[in-house]
Parts: sequence; structure tokens; C-alpha cells
Amino acid sequence: MAAIPNDVFFASIGELNARLLAREFPAEDLARAFSARLERLGPQYNALALPLPQQARRQAIAAGKDIKIGRLRGPLQGVPYGVKDVLSVAAQLTTWGAKPYAGQVFDYSATVIEKLDSVGAVLTGKLSMVELAGAGGYGSTSASLFGPGLNPWDRAHWSGGTSSGPAAAVAAGLVTFAIGSEASGSIVTPASFCGVTALRPTYGLVGRHGAMTLSWTLDKLGPLARSAEDCGHILQAISGKDAKDAGSAGKSFYYTPQYVRPLKELKAGFAPVDFAERAQPSARAAFQSALAALRETGVQLVETRLPQFPYGPVLSAILGSEAASVFESLIASPKVYDLADPAQIAGLQAALEIPARQYLKAMRLRRLMQQAYAKLFADVDLLVTFGRSGPAPNIELPVGRAVVPPEGSDPGFYGIIQAGNLAGLPALVLPCGFAGNLPVALQLVGAPFAENTLLAVGKEFQTRTDWHKRRPEGV
Amino acid sequence: MKLTRRELATVLAPAAALAGTQAAAQTTPRRPPARSDALLDAARARTKANGAVLDEQAAPMDTAPAFQFKA
Repeated sequence: MAAIPNDVFFASIGELNARLLAREFPAEDLARAFSARLERLGPQYNALALPLPQQARRQAIAAGKDIKIGRLRGPLQGVPYGVKDVLSVAAQLTTWGAKPYAGQVFDYSATVIEKLDSVGAVLTGKLSMVELAGAGGYGSTSASLFGPGLNPWDRAHWSGGTSSGPAAAVAAGLVTFAIGSEASGSIVTPASFCGVTALRPTYGLVGRHGAMTLSWTLDKLGPLARSAEDCGHILQAISGKDAKDAGSAGKSFYYTPQYVRPLKELKAGFAPVDFAERAQPSARAAFQSALAALRETGVQLVETRLPQFPYGPVLSAILGSEAASVFESLIASPKVYDLADPAQIAGLQAALEIPARQYLKAMRLRRLMQQAYAKLFADVDLLVTFGRSGPAPNIELPVGRAVVPPEGSDPGFYGIIQAGNLAGLPALVLPCGFAGNLPVALQLVGAPFAENTLLAVGKEFQTRTDWHKRRPEGV
Repeated sequence: MKLTRRELATVLAPAAALAGTQAAAQTTPRRPPARSDALLDAARARTKANGAVLDEQAAPMDTAPAFQFKA
């Protein structure tokens, strides 16, 4: 077996694929090394749900054979990855991070896994998550079958929810990329806390067949990886029509940042108060430096206000109603008490009682939001704020809600995560510095299907900074 | 009426099965986690408060619920 140098575990997709094509090491050896690393280090962060070393070996051998005969399938060929345990892999356990589903096995694989399989990517394991992706709202970092997600930068801190395993595994170099899911912050939050680049795609762009349903109208699948460029390559592979997903937009995505308008012509809306006052004091310097680096890309920063809506209550009504309907049989059964988090149980039970009138009002307000954001994106090309206002909290702290701006104060972009999800907007998370020993990140939000704009800005930002290349000590 | 042992077993089997279920239920009681009543009350209160916020919002009569997104 070829020796795999440690830097390979932190290489980008492009670098890794180039080294495979150059026959520096065979895909099989690479898969074996990544599988062993995932099994050895994954439990240290409670990041591993299920190792798949045999399957990885088979896929890697196939990828290696294809590379040998010149049957090239693109940059993901032979590259190891992991998936959040919301995604089904045929004949393997799919727990959704929850004890009531600990023995669940499907006889089919999720659409995104089939798509990644078709381009030669190598699935080395399933990664941990908050139980049921936080369906009922959860109060503790321990709300998972796998225990609290521990942050590779400091294991006393949380890796975030609900795609905890994917973010931690990418940050610790256990996989080259991972697939996570988001209904309201579940990609943006862990990516920000773990210092990895991630993309929440436009609603409908990535097919969800074979993924746990939390909310039909909010669920999205997206990549967590080492760079904006990697996210672009992954999105190209996993996007497209999914005939088995009623929410599929039927659109494909081609990663072509070179065709985006010159960055100096782009306007990025931002709210200075986000960075000066709403950000946690320990993170403000990093955010200010990041804004300066963003300006250097040529993008024009213009002060902008978000349309004002009660984003939190609207999102809660929709997510709660849909999740309660999805999990109605669990909520009605004593098995609901097998969930790890009491707040989650109570949240699900209460959500089952949300009146239809409340759900419909929320969905109608959502329509107005979409119209308001369409208008906003006529004036700006993207929005910029922080991923989270500060670094990852200690795992002993309860999972808090964002601090509500005092009445009468400038709310900045408060509610942008809920707003972005409600309006189906894409978001790109870019690591942008540290608060103490923990990473913090910027969040770029775009118009529906404007992923290339976000990725072009992200790529340029990452040619001028190296925050996305930093790695935790000792891994 | 005389019953054979087999007939007797047939008559008693459902009742025995039911009793067994009840016994099992009694020996393994399902109890909500601590403070779940308080948590449930709090969750219900949040739902009610959210509903009140939504009630204050106006939406024109022809505003249809949304969930489709187009470029």
C-alpha cells in the first residue's frame, strides 16, 4: 500500500484528483487511508455514524480502474466523502440520528449518493447529526443518538447543529467533503462553527429522494468542503432533476464562475450594525478584516436593509407543522420518549397542535417574503453578513436562540438564516478568521439559482485569504 | 360443557395475550422525561405567541401560500 502523506487529508478536490490522475497513489489506497482515519478519529468528535470501508474499497477499485484506462468522470473521481445520516444508503443503517430509528434500513440509496457514485466519488461513511435534524427544536447539544458533536478546533465546544458530523469530519480531515442538510441553519451553523466552506443551494436544485423528510418546503441538501471551488464541483455533480422529489426544480447547475459579471460590477448589500454591534465582541475584529478583504475583491459593499417580516414565527409555524405531520406516528407512539432531548419531544408534541390557519398564514406571508426578496435582488447581487454572530459555544451550554435586537434598534440582518430558507435562497459560508482558538465565518446570500455569483465571489475571497486552509492542531 | 385442553387453550389464548401485554406495559411504564410537562407548556406557549404575531400581519386576500421557487 502506498504511503498517504498527512497533507492529503486536507487537500482540496482539485488537488486530490490531480494526484490520483498523476498516479501518486491509487484510489484504493486513498480510500483505505481515509476509511481508517474516519474510524479512528471520527468517534473523538462524535462525528461518525456508520463506517462503510468495504463499500468504499469497491468504489475506489472501480474508480482506480477507470482512471487507469482513461475513463475520466470529473474532479470527484476517486475522492472520499461522507454523508449526514439523513441520507439512505441501500442495505445500510440510516438512523436519522435518533434512537427510535436506530435499526432502520432502506433498500435504496438517496439520489445524491447515486449521482456522486456516477461521477466516481467514494463514500467512506455516514456522519452524525442532531436527532431528526432538530425537528421539534432542541435544547441541548446532546440531542443526538451519537452524543454531542465535538468541535475539532476545541472539543469542549460544539460542532453545531444539525449537520454536526459533516462539518466536524471535513474540519478534521476525515473526509474531503460531506453532504449535509438544512431547513433552517443546519449547514450554515456547523460550517461556521467548524471553519469549513459550505453551500446551501437554492430550494429544489438538489434532489432529496432518499433523504429524511423534515419539511417538504424547506429541506435542502448541500456540500461542506474545503473551498468555494470544491463546493462548485460538488454542486454540479449533485444538482439536477429528481423525478422522485416533488420539490425538484428540474434545473441543473454548471460550475462556471468565469462567466459571472466582473466582481467590481457586483453590489453586495450589508448592514454595518451586524459587524459593529450584533457580532460577539470576540469576533468583531475578524469580521471587520473579512469585510476589508471582501472589498479588495472589487465587490461594492452597499448598506442595505432586509425586508421586515416576523421570520422566526413564520419559520416555526411552517417547520413545526410540516415536521409534526411527517413524524405524526412517532409523536403518537411511546417511542417518542426514546428521543434524547426533552425539549425536542415537547416541541414535536406541541407542533402537532399548530392550527391549519397558522400554517397557512405563515405560508402566505412567505409568498410576500419571496416577492420582497425578488425586489431586493433587483438592487443588489448578494447579501453579506456573518454565518453566526460568534464562535461555537461550549457543549455544556444550552442551545440558545439568537439574541433579539432591542425594539427600536437597527436589526441589521437579524433573521437572515430563516429568511434565506423561507425564500429558498442559496447561501455560501466562508471561513474568515478566528475568535480566540475558534473559527468564525462570513455568509453570502444570493438570489434563487445565483450560486455561481456566490461561488465566484467566494473563490476570489479565498485567493486573497487562507482561512479556509487552516486546520486544527493535532489532527 | 366439557372442553378439551386444546379447546381451552384456544379460548384463553387471546385473553392471556392481552393480559401479557398489559403486564408488560405495567412492568415497563413509559414516563416522559423530567420536566416534560413544563417543556410542553412552554412549547405550546411559544406556538400561541407565534400565532399572535402572525395574526398581526396583513396579507392581501389573493396571496396564495408559497413553496415553489423560480429563477
